[in-house]
Amino acid sequence: MRILEEGKADYLKVDPDGYRASVRDNKPHQMVSKLMTHKEAVERFVRDGDYLAYDCNYFQRGPSSLIREIVRQRKKNLWLCGKFTYVACAILVEAGCADRIDIGFIGFGPWISRAVREKKCTIYEYSNAVITLRLKAGAMGIPFMPARSFGGTDGFQHSGCKIVEDPFTGKPVLLVPALNPDVSIIHVHQADEFGNARVFGTGIAHAECALASKRVIVSAEEIVSTDEFRRDPARTSIAHFTVDAVVHAPFGAYPGTVQGYYASDPMGVIEAMGAMFRGDFTEYLKKHVYSVQSHDEYLQKVVGTEKLAEIRRRETIREGYAS
Amino acid sequence: MSTPATDFNEREFVICQISRLVDDKYIYWVGGGGEPMNSVLLAKRMSAPNLQYLTEDGCVGPEARVPFDPLMTMISSPANYRALQWGTMNYAADLAQLGYVDYGILATLQVDRYGNVNSTVVGKYEGGEGRRFGGPGGADSIAALAWRTILVTDQQKRKFVDRVDFISSPGFLDGPGARERHGLPPGTGPWRVYTPWAMFGYGADCQLMIQAIAPFVTLEQVLEEMSFKPAIAPKLEILEVPTEEELMILRTQIDVAGQVTDRGRWIEFKDGKYSFAAP
Repeated sequence: MRILEEGKADYLKVDPDGYRASVRDNKPHQMVSKLMTHKEAVERFVRDGDYLAYDCNYFQRGPSSLIREIVRQRKKNLWLCGKFTYVACAILVEAGCADRIDIGFIGFGPWISRAVREKKCTIYEYSNAVITLRLKAGAMGIPFMPARSFGGTDGFQHSGCKIVEDPFTGKPVLLVPALNPDVSIIHVHQADEFGNARVFGTGIAHAECALASKRVIVSAEEIVSTDEFRRDPARTSIAHFTVDAVVHAPFGAYPGTVQGYYASDPMGVIEAMGAMFRGDFTEYLKKHVYSVQSHDEYLQKVVGTEKLAEIRRRETIREGYAS
Repeated sequence: MSTPATDFNEREFVICQISRLVDDKYIYWVGGGGEPMNSVLLAKRMSAPNLQYLTEDGCVGPEARVPFDPLMTMISSPANYRALQWGTMNYAADLAQLGYVDYGILATLQVDRYGNVNSTVVGKYEGGEGRRFGGPGGADSIAALAWRTILVTDQQKRKFVDRVDFISSPGFLDGPGARERHGLPPGTGPWRVYTPWAMFGYGADCQLMIQAIAPFVTLEQVLEEMSFKPAIAPKLEILEVPTEEELMILRTQIDVAGQVTDRGRWIEFKDGKYSFAAP
């Protein structure tokens, strides 16, 4: 294939053969219970220097409790998959956990310009859907995927994409490099102890993240029996063998929403957004991360049961979200 | 009820303009909030009850419950209420790549004479010297893949520039044929730019052309709020003001708390003409 144009940025090494071998050697092919705490899951499966993808975000059915646990454990040098996100990248960079971001969309503010200027963080440019397409290629076990978007942009120049002459039509076509994150964290409505998981409602790329990532932590609002999955198999979003850890995390997306289960907490969202726009997360992290040892303690001491009851009450739409 | 309104603001004006283009014959991909979302929500209550729009989270044809949860739209139950289908981001992008998306509607930070969109950095990119913004998000897919793209922005000199500081999402790039040379599907691209003061189309040279202006500004005022001189259509149209009915729906059903519309100058009908109200 003739290469017509190439982005000049680094990208996570593309290695489908290595990924296959890691699936053979490291994924839990057998049905085994993987229930564990936030602390244990992050200790065992998130490593310094990892490429970390989180699906959805801190406000929208994202793994907010796992993100706080990563900060609590002071992980270092993470490379973030910054698609469809607001504050999570800011939190992880400001907390000293991450130093590289592939950007589709992130919540901006003084923190990002400062991090780039002071060379605390390197940015690579994509779009949201180019990143989810990279994950799709990673989830298919192939090295790249063609796309009809992103060519001609300045983002392309700062990406790992290429434009080639399509061997079938002879026309220029963009190729995105497959993305196989070291670890993905995904928040779902329901999971069983083995990692079978259900997402109700729309999403970003939870299925792709689970299939494409070497290690996968699923946090779930509810732990249900495997019989629930066998009763309605078409609703299984993620299969157990892609998952390494299952964490029971009621209100795991707080301050964000989980569709059909609870609404977002506007004050909780504003607090995080405020820290981002001010460019100072010191107080936020102190209160929401370091002041407690666990998610359960966070819900009890920082958020409070009254607030939890309120956000559950405010979520009045249930159609389509119940099992 | 289709009485022309006598008091409205700039934001309401531009939302009504875009809303009137929306037709339930077509499929739209709409930015998740702001003027684009308000425009389609208004259209669904006015002229297009069977309106179908997609959002980036793969939500197809919802009958959204408004007003939204105060802060967030996509991946939430009110925004995705009574949809025809729930998918994910790759599904939305696939539909656009297949050619199902007739129109994309986007708000933008900065636009240039070729309709290129910047949502990444204002100022110099390298070294973090410029002011960094969020990135293209879903806008790149919309701008690349929808058959026609409608942009909405403010009429300000710093927003209409000769060349954007960074092309986050593609317009016509640098002229005819450029999109295809970079692998984008033929027959797609920018179609309209709306501001509270004017409506722009594109000439055969793929460059912005003023086609209509609001009744409360002059052509000279519009030109003063642009960093380059655009072409001007041979017959310049005057945009119609919002009707009382449109405003009533927008204010009582859609943007009840003024999250989108509580911004911009007010316009009043006085002495037989529309003009800016005294602040």
